This record gives sequence, C-alpha cells and structure tokens, in this order.
Amino acid sequence: MTQRISINPITRLEGHGKIDIFLDQEGNVANTYFQVPELRGFEQFCVGRPAEDMPNITNRICGVCPEAHHMAAVKALDRVFAADPPSAAKKIRELLYMAFFVTDHTTHFYALGGPDFIIGPDAPPAERNILGVIRKVGLDAGKQVIACRSRNHHVIQKLGGRAIHPIAGLPGGWSKPVSEAERIEIEAAARANIEFALFSLKVFDAVVLKNPAYLKLIESDVYLHRTYYMGTVDENNKLNLYDGKIRVVDPEGAEFARYDVADYAAHVAEHVEPWTYLKFPFLKRVGWKGFEDGADSGVYCATPLARLNVADGLTTPLAQEEFEKFHEAFRSGQGNGRRKPVHHRLATHWARLIELLYAAEHMLELATDPEITSPEVRRIPDRIAGEGVGSVEAPRGTLMHHYRANQQGLIEKANLIVGTTNNHAVIAMSIRRAAQKLIRAGQIVEEGLLNRIEMAFRLYDPCLSCATHALPGSMPLVVSIRDHAGSLLRTVRRDG
Amino acid sequence: MRTIVIGIGNPVLCDDSVGLEIVRRLRKELPESDDVATTELYAGGIRLMEAMVGYDEAILVDAIQTENGRPGAIYALDLADVAQTRNICSTHDGSLAVALDLGRITGLAIPPRISIWAVEAADVETFSEAMTAAVAAAVPEVVDRIIAQLQTGSFLYQEIRHENSSLFL
Repeated sequence: MTQRISINPITRLEGHGKIDIFLDQEGNVANTYFQVPELRGFEQFCVGRPAEDMPNITNRICGVCPEAHHMAAVKALDRVFAADPPSAAKKIRELLYMAFFVTDHTTHFYALGGPDFIIGPDAPPAERNILGVIRKVGLDAGKQVIACRSRNHHVIQKLGGRAIHPIAGLPGGWSKPVSEAERIEIEAAARANIEFALFSLKVFDAVVLKNPAYLKLIESDVYLHRTYYMGTVDENNKLNLYDGKIRVVDPEGAEFARYDVADYAAHVAEHVEPWTYLKFPFLKRVGWKGFEDGADSGVYCATPLARLNVADGLTTPLAQEEFEKFHEAFRSGQGNGRRKPVHHRLATHWARLIELLYAAEHMLELATDPEITSPEVRRIPDRIAGEGVGSVEAPRGTLMHHYRANQQGLIEKANLIVGTTNNHAVIAMSIRRAAQKLIRAGQIVEEGLLNRIEMAFRLYDPCLSCATHALPGSMPLVVSIRDHAGSLLRTVRRDG
Repeated sequence: MRTIVIGIGNPVLCDDSVGLEIVRRLRKELPESDDVATTELYAGGIRLMEAMVGYDEAILVDAIQTENGRPGAIYALDLADVAQTRNICSTHDGSLAVALDLGRITGLAIPPRISIWAVEAADVETFSEAMTAAVAAAVPEVVDRIIAQLQTGSFLYQEIRHENSSLFL
C-alpha cells in the first residue's frame, strides 16, 4: 500500500502550496509532487488595456516584488514605444532597484532562509523565525533589520512616487528627477546598507561557515544539483541586476548561450506536466529530458546562486572579495577559462548575502554619480513599434515581460516568465532529492526531517502567487496523482 | 487616540480586493479627521506591522476563506481568533504575530488594540478588478460597522462571530 504524507500548508511560502510525498511498499519515497493554487486569466486581463498601464498593473500581481515587475514592464515599454531612456533615467531606475534588492534579500535572510541555519534545521518550527534569529544573534540585529527596511522603503517611495507599488516608470524614462536633497539622503542610506550587508556576512560566517555541521549539510549531496544556470551580465560578463545580456552556463561552467532577452523564445521553451499547471521552462537546444541533472538535461536554475555562477565577477570591490571567497570555499576550481559553478543549493543563502552587499555598494555608486540629479529623465515616445520584451533579475530569478501592442497602443498579447517559474523544475527536483535521501525504509518522519525537505525549496524563495499568473483561464484544472504502479489515487478537478 | 484602518489584499485578484474596496469606501464616507487614517496594503507580515506603528488602534480588513464558508459572510475577529485571513501573514517573512513581536522587542510603538474584519471570498484565483456579487454586497455593511466601531469605540466581535459561528472554523 502507498502511504501519503502531506505537509499543508507550507509554512513561510507564498501561495500556500502543498507537497505530496508518495512512499512505495518498502517505505521509500516513490515520488513527490509540489502543488500550488493556480491563478488564472492574467493575459486576458491585460488584453485591450493601454500598454502604458502595464507597469502599474503588473506590479500588483504580487505584493512582494512589485518593484521587479514595474522595472521589467517599463523596460518592455521602452521597446514597445521605441524610446530609449536618457542615461540619468536608467540610473534612477537602477538606484531604486538596488534599494529594493537590499530590503528583499535582507528580509529573506533574516526571516525566511536564515532561521534554518541560525537556529538550526531541527529546532521546533515555532522558534525558526526572525525572533529566534534575534535571540541567537542579538536584539541589535533585529533593530538593524527594521532600520534597513525602513530606510530603503523610504528611498523607494522618494524615487518611485509611492511606498510600495512604484508609479514613476514611464516608457522612455522616469517621471521625475532626483533632487540634491534626496540624493544626499539616499547616499547616506546606501552607506548604512553597506555596513549592514557586511554585518550580515559576518553573522553568516560566524554562525554557518564556522560550524562544521552546517558546512557538512551545505556540502552534502542532499542539496546538490549539477544543472545549467541563467542570469544577466554586463558587457564584461559581470553581474548586473538591472540590464544586460542573458547568459547561460553549462554544468561545467562553459558559456552555453548569451543573448538579448528579446530572443528568449529561441532559447527557452516550456514543458507541461499532467499533474500541475505550473510550466517548466527548459533550454530548447538541450531539450526536455525530465526532472534530471546534467549537461544532457535542459533544466536550468535562475537564482542568486545561478547569478554568481554565470558571472565572471562583480563590479564592486567588497562584493568581489566575497565572490572570490565564495568560490574558494567550495573549491569550485577552474575550467573553460573561468570559475566552475558551485552546485550546492544551500549556498544560495550565502550568494544572496553577496548580492545584498553588491546591491548596497552599487547603490552608493549610483547615488554619488554626478549624472543622478540630471533633469534629463524622459525621452517622449513619438511612435509605437508594437512589440517589446524587457527583463530584470528579480530577487528570485530572471523576470521577463513580453508585450505586443496595436497601433492604438492597446495590448494584444502579454506573456510573462517570472523569476520563480524558471526554477519550477529544479524546485521539484530538490524536493524529490531531499525526500529520497531523508525518508528511507519507512523511517518515522519527524518535524526536523520535514523541515529539511522544506529547506530544499525555501532556498529558492519561490513566489508562487505570481508564478502562476499567466495560466489560460479557459482550461479546467485536473490534478492527477498516481502510485508507483500508475494507478490513479486521487483526482482534483476544477472547471475553468 | 489615533486609529488606522488598513485594507489588505490584491486589487486585481477578484474577491481578494474586498478589504481594499471597503477602505476606499470608508475613506469617502468618513468625516475628515486627524484621528482616523486609512491605508491600502498588498502584503502582510512585517509590512503590515510596519504600517500600524505609532497608532493607538489598528483595524484590519481582509478577505478570508473558511471551510464551507458562505461567500459574503462577515467575520469580526481579534488577533487571538484569527489563524489565517488571506493576507495578514506574509509567507515571505512570517506571521503577523511574529511580526508584531518583532516590532515590540525592537522598540516600535505597536497599537495595543488590533481588530480584524474579514469577508468570506468566493474567488481569489481569477484576475479581475470586479468582485463576485455576494462579496460586493457585503461591502456597505462592513463599512457601516467600522464607522460604528470608530464612533463608539467598541468592537462587537463576539456578537457577529456568534452570528456566523457555523461558518467560522
């Protein structure tokens, strides 16, 4: 008989997903399914609306990363309206975006990802939260988290025109310049962010890297996948979160593809499974070979870890030092003329902190750039080119918006690949791997064990409410669950 | 005595927007006053805690889904009652209870009084700016009850919870 173990709802994960683990007769994991509620009808919702509304509609898909949707949308509109923004406008966008990255990565580390390490994977769930982190690291850390969020939200509000959902992005630029008084305040915030990022990296070093048990956990094969990686790089192949070319490296670290996001359809295709409406993007030239590791499988990963694997380095000095330390710590070695990738998925938490430092340092560079207070922030569009693709690196992976507008400027087609969607296949693989390694021969499932399975997907910080946005509204939902012999155990149906 | 009324939800996700809509109507119907502020939020958890800092009282308005709930049913809850409305927790940073404790221990002025109005949602999975009819129909009553709460200072949650006791888990 097949036993079913359910964890429902997933704590601390957007969208109240559900994991079903199926055991075989010997009590070993036969398979796992990761399911989330599906949101429907986003494309239909967009069709017929004025294209210039998209940055303010798409940033409401999700309350967590509206800034990322706003940026990807305005960048797509720059192309829809054939209006390349003035340099100062691009810098203001990027400045806001760095403040957003600082607050988002901070919150993830202290509230979501960090507790697993700082308090421990076997601690009771009631203690594995930000309060537990403060008990361990000190009250000052909690105050710093609050202060960090507060000053960066303030920067986002100043630059974006509104506290949570920015509205200042326009095709061809930004709606208002930065005053000198604002610039001074933002510069001070950036300096405080750098100090805070360094503090966070020190905490990680002391609590995680200096603890042999955690290092062993990070390096164990439970949390290891050798896949392709995707991220955005600048002209020198350095990490860029706001703009650049999409770069893909293979599991050995060799460059596999480097392209303008407008060409995404030539590189990425989407696989569908009968048991979920989640789509599983994969590399077209490799092909879909199932939920498998390796160079022969088109599965790729797009996360902070992926970005540090595709980048040849970081453009800011302190983050670059950490980047080198990161690769040395995992002895990634050299191959194909560059560093080989780090495949340990739990290292994503460290990678996230390195990006936090990079974002803080780059925020200071932008805040002290003489051009940042330039009044030239808008190029007024004078025609409709019709089609546009824009992308940014969202905290959770490469985010792409693709719009087609008619000659009245109304949306005819909208397609989004959000950060989490890129990672659907690797998330499913990580859950299955963790379950297989940790549940054996009917061993009793205890909380610590289940948490280690949750850790497998929490490291991706999946944002499922917006990852399921683009589903066709007309199709009924049928979720089928089968046992090892292929017999249908359960069907959940919802007519569209 | 300063009160903030916070509507929470996603404005383009059908019935999930009911809390936001109630706060928008409330803003129109309330007399201008320095004592009552209103705001709309799209995420809970720490963000929600931060929004209520410095007020003496917070009134939260959100959608909820309960087992066998009747769409449009109104619930008046306090923090001890509420396990999960739709949006007061953020699964990206944690529960409201943890967020409130975080605020308190780091020295923020968390309101001593927090009450929650929730409306049973029918559809929170379809992108739409319009709510379903039953949920939209509940909006005026919640607006009236919040105005009464603001005027009398008393929150009659037990009475209303009793009305809906068969619906509330």
